[in-house]
Formats: sequence, C-alpha cells, structure tokens
Amino acid sequence: MRLKTDLTRAGALLAAAVLAGLAFNAVSPAGIPLFGQWDTAQGVVNAGGQAGVVDVGREIRTVSQARALFDEGAAVFVDARPEDAYAEGHIPGAVSLPVNDFDEKIPTFWERYPLEGEIVTYCSGRTCEDGHRLARLLEEVGYERVRVFIDGYPGWAEAGHPTRTAGKTDAEAAVR
Amino acid sequence: MKRILCHPLMELAFRWLLGLTFVYSSLHKIADPAQFAKIVFGYALFPPAAINLIAVTVPFVELTAGAALMLGIWPRPAVLIVEALLLLFIAILSINLIRGVEFDCGCFAFGGAGHISAIPQFLARDVLYFLAGLQVLLFSGRRRWILTPLKDRNLSAAEAG
Repeated sequence: MRLKTDLTRAGALLAAAVLAGLAFNAVSPAGIPLFGQWDTAQGVVNAGGQAGVVDVGREIRTVSQARALFDEGAAVFVDARPEDAYAEGHIPGAVSLPVNDFDEKIPTFWERYPLEGEIVTYCSGRTCEDGHRLARLLEEVGYERVRVFIDGYPGWAEAGHPTRTAGKTDAEAAVR
Repeated sequence: MKRILCHPLMELAFRWLLGLTFVYSSLHKIADPAQFAKIVFGYALFPPAAINLIAVTVPFVELTAGAALMLGIWPRPAVLIVEALLLLFIAILSINLIRGVEFDCGCFAFGGAGHISAIPQFLARDVLYFLAGLQVLLFSGRRRWILTPLKDRNLSAAEAG
C-alpha cells in the first residue's frame, strides 16, 4: 500500500519534471530541437538548433574532395584540435590553431594568412564540431572563404593519405 | 553503528547530500542542453531519436528529485527517483568501462575537447550515493525538516508505530 502510494507519487514527480524540462527547453535561448542529427553517415553529429554551429553549407563532405584541394595547394588547412593531438599526427602543411586557444593564437595567424585566402578547417571527424566552431570564429575575425573538412584527421589518415607528426618539419618528412 | 545509521539527523544529512548533489549536477546540463546531448551521444547506448529528449528532460528530473529531497516534499518518492537514476548511471558507467569505450561522463561539469573522465572513481561514488539513498528510503522514524502535508506525516508516523 505504502509502496503503491510512493510509486504513484514518484510518477507524478517524474511527469512534472519532464513537462518542466520540455517547457523550459521551448522558451530557453539555449533550447534544442526534440530530435537532433546523430547519424555520422549524414554528417557532423549535433543537437541542432540555433545555438548550434554546424553549417552544412560550408562542408567538404568527402576525403577525396579534401585531397583534391590539398593537391591544388592553394588552400591553407587549419587543425582545430588541441596541440597534443596535432603533434601526434596532422595533415601535412596544416597550421595548428586549437579552437580552445583561439583568442591567444589568432593574432599570429592573422598576420601570416590573408583574409581573402582559402581556408579548410578540420578536427577529429564527424563526432566533433570544433572544425565548425573554428570556421565560425575565423569568419568573425574577417576570413571570407572558410570551409570545413568534416571527416577530419581520422578520415584523412584512414584513407591512407600522407600525414606528419610534430618534431619533423615537412621538408624532413618529405625526404625520408 | 545501527543507532547512528538510523538517527534522524543521519537521514537529514544523507537527504541533503543527495538533494544538493542532484540539484548542483543538473544546473550545467540545463544551461547547455546541446553540450549535454553530445555527452549522451558519447555514451553510445541510446537510439539517435532519444538523445535530445534525454538531454532536455533528465536534468529536470535530477533537479526536481533533488529539490524535493532537500525541501522534504515526498521524500520517499523523490529518493525512489534518485535511486533509479543512480542505477541507470551505474549501468551506463559499468557497460562503458567493461567494453572500453572512452567517454566524457559530464556528470558534474563538461570537460574540454578530448576530456575523458575517471570512470572507476565515478562508479564508486555512485554506489556510495546509492547506499545513502537506501538509508533515506528505508528510514522509519520521524523525518526532520519536512514540508510534506501534515496528513501524510501523521500517516507515516502511525505506520512507523
């Protein structure tokens, strides 16, 4: 009897909490849609909504497309991951600009790379949004042609394309 | 030992500990549901269609149950919810520990990129919380600092005999 009352009341508390959560989400500026994009086959996973950073319009969605840009040599590849991830391996010639250290690193980057140049950001693939976050930040400081290679370093490496580790300059790595 | 464990102040202490913990741990998730949704995705246990719904509702369940425990509103029903949540957390942590999935717990704060939580530590802590919850659930004396209507209080006092 007492357990039944307890369970009924627990159910009432639960229902009130769920309704409060849905109501709060509907009015909160940080609110998200009830269903997100959580399929890596479809692209970068994210909760969606206005607070999100994923902009499908600027995505480079295949490794071969990224490789073509790489071979052209006109675009600057920018690595959004933390420095230690970059050190362990990155796309040859890529510049390290960890999105979490953006404010600190952007002045140097800004001096070296012209605003009208083509930029390709990447991170750890379709489960990370840092490539998109970095692209947005770069646009905010004036870069005009920023795209995001969504398969990132893991996609690049798995496809067997060349990689570099820190401590080896590109020139050294090339003659090995 | 039994006298200490069954003391009303012990019940109050455990109830507030659980209440505070659950309220505190809900706040950062409520403030950033998109980030919490990514954490839930990282658990690699839930169907895609459920992830946003979990991220939107579960923090409010934590908040409601935690607040009810602290205020003394329906303490037993509230602690039932807390125990159910703790069992869920223990299951999530254990499954991912066993299968070696690296993930961010997101329990009390969101880590930075590449942040991985110390799973065994969180697991041990959840088990301790669960035991504290059992004390609150099974406590049969008169509870201190309770807001539940008088009628219910008399009922449980009569039952406690």
